[in-house]
Amino acid sequence: MKNHSMKRVIRFGGAVAFLGLASTASAIDGPQIIKENCLLCHSETGNAEAPFSRISQQRKTPEGWQTTINRMKSQRGLSLKPEHERVLIKYLADHQGLAPAETADLRYVLERQPNVVEQNVPEHVAGTCTGCHSSARSGLQRRTTDEWQKLIHFHMGQVPTIEYLAGHRDRPWFQIALNETAVKMGEGYPLQTQAWSDWKAKPKAALNGQWAVSGFVPDKGEFTAVMSVMPNQKDNYITLINGHYADGSKLTGSGSATVFTGYEWRGAIVIDGRKMRQVFAASEDGKQMAGRMYLKNDEVMGGRVLAEKADKAATLVSVTPSSIKQGASQTLIIAGANLSNKVSLGNGVKVEKVISQSADRLVVQVKADAKAAIGQRTLSVGKQTLENAVAVYDQVARVEITPTESIARIGGNGGPIPKRKSTYRAVGYAAGADGKPGTEDDLSLGYLPATWSLKAFDEVAEHDNDLKYAGSIDAKGIFTPGDAGLNPERKMSTNNVGNLAVVGTVKDGANSVSGEAHLLVTVQDFVKELIQ
Amino acid sequence: MHMYLHEEVLKQMKHLKSFNKKAKMLDAAVSQGDVEEVVAMQSVVGCTSVNDPGWEVDPFGGLGSLCQPMESDLYGCADACWWPAQVPDTMSSHPNWSQDVAKADEDWRKIDAIFPESE
Ligand code: HEC
Ligand code: HEC
Repeated sequence: MKNHSMKRVIRFGGAVAFLGLASTASAIDGPQIIKENCLLCHSETGNAEAPFSRISQQRKTPEGWQTTINRMKSQRGLSLKPEHERVLIKYLADHQGLAPAETADLRYVLERQPNVVEQNVPEHVAGTCTGCHSSARSGLQRRTTDEWQKLIHFHMGQVPTIEYLAGHRDRPWFQIALNETAVKMGEGYPLQTQAWSDWKAKPKAALNGQWAVSGFVPDKGEFTAVMSVMPNQKDNYITLINGHYADGSKLTGSGSATVFTGYEWRGAIVIDGRKMRQVFAASEDGKQMAGRMYLKNDEVMGGRVLAEKADKAATLVSVTPSSIKQGASQTLIIAGANLSNKVSLGNGVKVEKVISQSADRLVVQVKADAKAAIGQRTLSVGKQTLENAVAVYDQVARVEITPTESIARIGGNGGPIPKRKSTYRAVGYAAGADGKPGTEDDLSLGYLPATWSLKAFDEVAEHDNDLKYAGSIDAKGIFTPGDAGLNPERKMSTNNVGNLAVVGTVKDGANSVSGEAHLLVTVQDFVKELIQ
Repeated sequence: MHMYLHEEVLKQMKHLKSFNKKAKMLDAAVSQGDVEEVVAMQSVVGCTSVNDPGWEVDPFGGLGSLCQPMESDLYGCADACWWPAQVPDTMSSHPNWSQDVAKADEDWRKIDAIFPESE
């Protein structure tokens, strides 16, 4: 068996995003590549609907297919030319992919969103399948029941200890996984679905044109931009991006992107000299894209991006900040293209002046009357409107820090594995009509600027002096963990791990309101995966 | 196509049940129900919830019951295939991972992660 495991050409994140860079045009097509490279071990079924054993009976995301092909290479001995690999993954993702509705709730793993605690994990998956990896890894696949059962057999063969792990060994894990979990998966996540046959039949929108974009990167803050998308080859685009960060400094970049399955946008782009990745989903009509953009070499450093097809039409994307205090003046940055400068937020909020207008944004100064009615306002810019865009409030009653549960991982210190940081933002709430914070009618004020500090999470952390060793947080809410390696200063040379609370404090007039999040600074992850 | 464990390996596996003293203590001290509840609350995507001991988080949601420093037990974890999505399992998938580094606690700087293969 060949061992490629230590070979590292492109760092974590490279494999699929790399597809965004390269041509997938080829003289040889997907089925031909399968015939020439896979039939040593796989077989032809004779069924034209599902011609290849183990391959035609599953559907998954581009990252899902890449994972399987990687395993065929590293564990099974497949060798495949890089250009053929790209064509094959594109072919498989296009012909055996997932419909937009089938990925909508689980995009966080594709986007590499950090610090996600999964919600709504199916009962048959929780505990049986969540010990090692996300539930989304299986939720982003569709298979026949037989193929779900083969996946269980694969786990038994590949991870022989699986039956003996905590939470598994006290019950017949294999029988449960094979006869209950896999069967339920076959029912809930079958190969054939209405969503997929509808999506396959639908004509797919081309995504070239002008896009009005708004987004966030933790170390740079909010940004607005216009992204020009130019067709290159089929489903492959060249991108140019120009815009501003909130402080007015310029943002420029260029890159390329490949679209899989008619909507899965995977872009590689260099912005202001930094390599970034874009994992977006286009809406079914091709008029909107949403997802996450992050630094290629530091995937925690990223944030949400929203893009609206603008071309020549007036397009309103978003506004920040999304609240204004009664009696206060506030600068608003409105992301959008081809906008008029006629801004309104309803009674009691006056537009004092237009500060600037450019292709990607409109910056205005507004003032809320001291008696302006409290509540969410609709923003209108010319004929464009955005509902619940800006909240007028009396005072900040409560602050939540997101993410509430988080981890960071020690690293660096001369070792090959970089530190995994963690980033935080403060979300404010006013008390709402009942005057009580923490109730249903609290008014969300969106992200608010905050100052940041750390403290020991509990007595154990206090006793072990975790605060001293585990890392530090900066003015932007970016936590950088401590150095990797044994620390002889600590009891038993413990690593620089720690159990901390992140405290974010928002100033509201003369008041200060704080919120807390839990941060566990822990050890490295030695297995990087495309889908965690 | 699928090879299951030899009897030999199976025996070794059984032995793993008492792989760690803390795990035993834990089994005795806390009912499984309590532990699962804590873990379900603490599990951030990317972390294992196999918790006897845990890799990133201990069964109580803290760090106190982990093997620390991590390097001193790293290869025990890798051989036993305890957390295959966090520590390369050298039993089946990655037999050569860190094979040149005999002492993890001295030479930890030489130990790299396994990366998704691309060209
Ligand atoms: C050297 C033998 C070999 C070659 C060549 C090979 N495979 Fe496989 N394939 C296997 C084995 C063994 C399994 C079952 C174990 C597993 O899933 O890793 C498998 C399983 C699969 C599965 C099912 C995985 C799952 O998650 O259930 C897919 C899909 C697949 N192969 C695709 C391919 C494609 C596409 C190619 C050609 C580009 C290929 N294989 C070439 C041996 C091979
Ligand atoms: C002991 C840890 C562990 C448990 C428990 C576990 N998995 Fe996995 N799973 C893995 C590993 C390791 C891989 C291999 C990833 C690779 O190909 O590199 C994997 C891969 C997968 C894949 C991707 C396979 C492919 O090529 O498309 C799916 C889907 C999956 N697991 C689903 C499940 C389901 C469903 C369960 C519960 C029945 C489960 N896993 C339980 C460790 C685990």
